[in-house]
Amino acid sequence: MKADGAPATKTFSTLRAGTVVIGSSLAVAAFLWAFITADSTIAVVALLVLLAAFFFGLERYPQAEAVVVRSFAEARVTAAIVWLVIVLGFPFLFGQNTYFLHLLVMCLIYSVLAIALNFQLGSANIPNFATGATYGIGAYCSALLALEFGWSFWATLPFAALAATLFGFIIGLPSMRTRDAYLALVTIACGVIIHQLLNNFEWTGGPQGLIGIPAPTLFGYSFASPLPVFGYTLPFQANFYYLALALLALSIVVANRLHQSRIGLAWNALRADEIAARAVGINVVWYKVLAFAVDAFLAAFAGVVYAFYISYIAPDNFTFLVSVTLMTMVIVGGMDNVIGVILGAFLLTLLPEKLRAFSDYRLLFYGLVVIAFLMIRPQGLLPQRLRSYGA
Amino acid sequence: MSVELCGVSTAYGGVPMLREIDLTVADGEIVCVLGPNGAGKSTLFKTVAGLITPVAGTVTIMDTDVATTGTERIARLGVGFVPEGRRLFPGLTVADNIRLGHEAVRPDGADLPARLTAIGQLFPRVIERLGQAAGTLSGGEQAMVALARALIGEPKFVVMDEPSLGLSPKLIREYFDILRAIHREGRTILLIEQNAEMALSVASRGYVLARGRIVAADHAEALRASSVVRSLYFS
Repeated sequence: MKADGAPATKTFSTLRAGTVVIGSSLAVAAFLWAFITADSTIAVVALLVLLAAFFFGLERYPQAEAVVVRSFAEARVTAAIVWLVIVLGFPFLFGQNTYFLHLLVMCLIYSVLAIALNFQLGSANIPNFATGATYGIGAYCSALLALEFGWSFWATLPFAALAATLFGFIIGLPSMRTRDAYLALVTIACGVIIHQLLNNFEWTGGPQGLIGIPAPTLFGYSFASPLPVFGYTLPFQANFYYLALALLALSIVVANRLHQSRIGLAWNALRADEIAARAVGINVVWYKVLAFAVDAFLAAFAGVVYAFYISYIAPDNFTFLVSVTLMTMVIVGGMDNVIGVILGAFLLTLLPEKLRAFSDYRLLFYGLVVIAFLMIRPQGLLPQRLRSYGA
Repeated sequence: MSVELCGVSTAYGGVPMLREIDLTVADGEIVCVLGPNGAGKSTLFKTVAGLITPVAGTVTIMDTDVATTGTERIARLGVGFVPEGRRLFPGLTVADNIRLGHEAVRPDGADLPARLTAIGQLFPRVIERLGQAAGTLSGGEQAMVALARALIGEPKFVVMDEPSLGLSPKLIREYFDILRAIHREGRTILLIEQNAEMALSVASRGYVLARGRIVAADHAEALRASSVVRSLYFS
C-alpha cells in the first residue's frame, strides 16, 4: 500500500497543478476578453474593481501566488499548450470587430517595448526615457527604406534594428559618467532631440510624417488582405496580431535567456550596488551600454511592426510621453518580471481606450487607476522574484 | 610585492583626505591599517580599490597601476575586495552573490562546485543558506557571505575594510580565525580595521592612520606597545 502511495500522490499533484494552470489561464483570457469588449463605463469600472480586488487578495495571501507559480513550474507542457491555444485562437473571439483586434495589436507592440525597457529599468535600474525615441528610429528607418528604396518589411527589419542599436550605444555612452537622475536627464534630452529632428528634417516628412508605408508581404501574401483560416476569414489586423505575437514570443525568449545568463546576473548586481559590482569584477560601463543597445534593438523591431501596420507615422507617435508611458508599464507591471511587464503593458494600453467615456477626465482617471494599483501592489502587479537557479 | 602605495594623496572636492601615504604589503603578509573614525581608512580602501583616483602618487597592485586599470580589472586579476558594510547584492541569493565573485576570475564557472565545497569548510552556515536572499541574512552571516564572495575566486590578495564592524565579540573571534586560516593558505591580506586588538593579533605588521597621515608603522607587537596606538585607542 505504501509503495503505491507515492505515485498516487504525484499523480494527484500533477492533476492539481494542471487544473490550476488551465483554470488560471482561462480566467486571465476571459478577463482580457471581457475588458477589451466591455462597452459600458459600469462594466469597465466593475472589471477594474475586480482586478484590484484580485491583486489585493494576492497581496494579502501571497501563498496563493506561490501555488500558481509552483503549478506552472510543475505543469509546463500543459501551460505551454493552453497558452498556445489561447493566443492563437484569441482573434477568433472578436469576430469581424477590427477595433478590438487593433487594440490587441497595440497591446502586443507595447508589450515588446516594455520588455525592451525592462532590460534597463527592471534588470539594471537604469532610468531610460528615450525608449520612445529608439522605437521611432526603428519605425522611421524602416519606413524610409521602404518608401525611398522599395525595400520589403523583412529587409528593413535588421537595418532599422541596427540603426537604433547604434543610437542606443550613443545614448548609453553618457552612462559612463552619469547615473540615476542625471542619466535620466540625458536620456530625456536625447529623446527630445530625436523628436525635434524628426519634426524638422525635410526627408522625414516633418510634422506630417511619412504616409503610404506598404503592408508587408510573405510569399506573395499581403498582410493588408483578410486572413482566411479554415474557411473562416479574420480582418487584416489579424495578420499583424500574429506578426506582433511572434515578435513578443521572440522577446520573451530573449528576455528569459538574458535574465538567466551572466549578463542578466551582472545587470541585477549593478542594479543593487554599482560599487560592489565593480569590486567583484563586473565591467559596469559595458553592461550599462549593453542594456541601452538591447533595449534599442528590441524597441526598433516594435517600431518597424508599428510603421508597417499603421502605414502612417509622424513624430508625435514617438514623443517623450510614450517613454513615460512605457516606464509606467514596467513599474506598474513589476520590474524585472517579464509576465508582470506584459500585464502592465496590456493594462495601460487598454486603459485610456476604455476610459473614453470619461472624455475630458480620461487622463485623470488613468492616473488614479495607476496610483491605486501602485498602492495595492507597491512592488508592481507581479513583482520580481528571487532568481530561480543557484550555483 | 602585492600592493605598494607611493606618496599617495587623495582629496574630495579639493579637501585633502589622505596625505603622502607610503605603504607596502609583501606577498604572503597580513598587514593591518588601524585608525580611529575619520582617520581616512575607508578612503584608503577606495584608493587601493581604484574607486578614487589619487591626486598625487601611485597605487600598484600586483605590479599593475590601479589608476589606469580600474577596479573591475583589478578584481579580475585575482584581488578579493571586502568593502565596508559588506555591500552584498541583497535581492540576489547567497549562491548568486558568491557566484558573482567567482565569475570575475573564472567566467566559464567550470570549477564553481569544487570551490563551493572548499568554501563550505570555512563557512558552513553560508552553504546552508545558498538559496536565501542575501538581504534576509543576519549581519554576521552577511559578513561571512561577503568574505566567501571575495574568496571563491581564490584571490592571491584580499583587501578588507572594517570587516568586524557590527559583529558580536564571539563572531569577531570566529571571523579572525577564518582570516588566520586563509592566510595559512598563502593569501596576502590588507586589513583596514578599527578593532586594533584583533587586527594586531593576526597581522604581522601594521600602520596607524590619523587625520589622513600615517603616524606609525611597525611590527604588530611593537605597535601593540606603542604609545601612538595607546593614545588613539586605549586612553
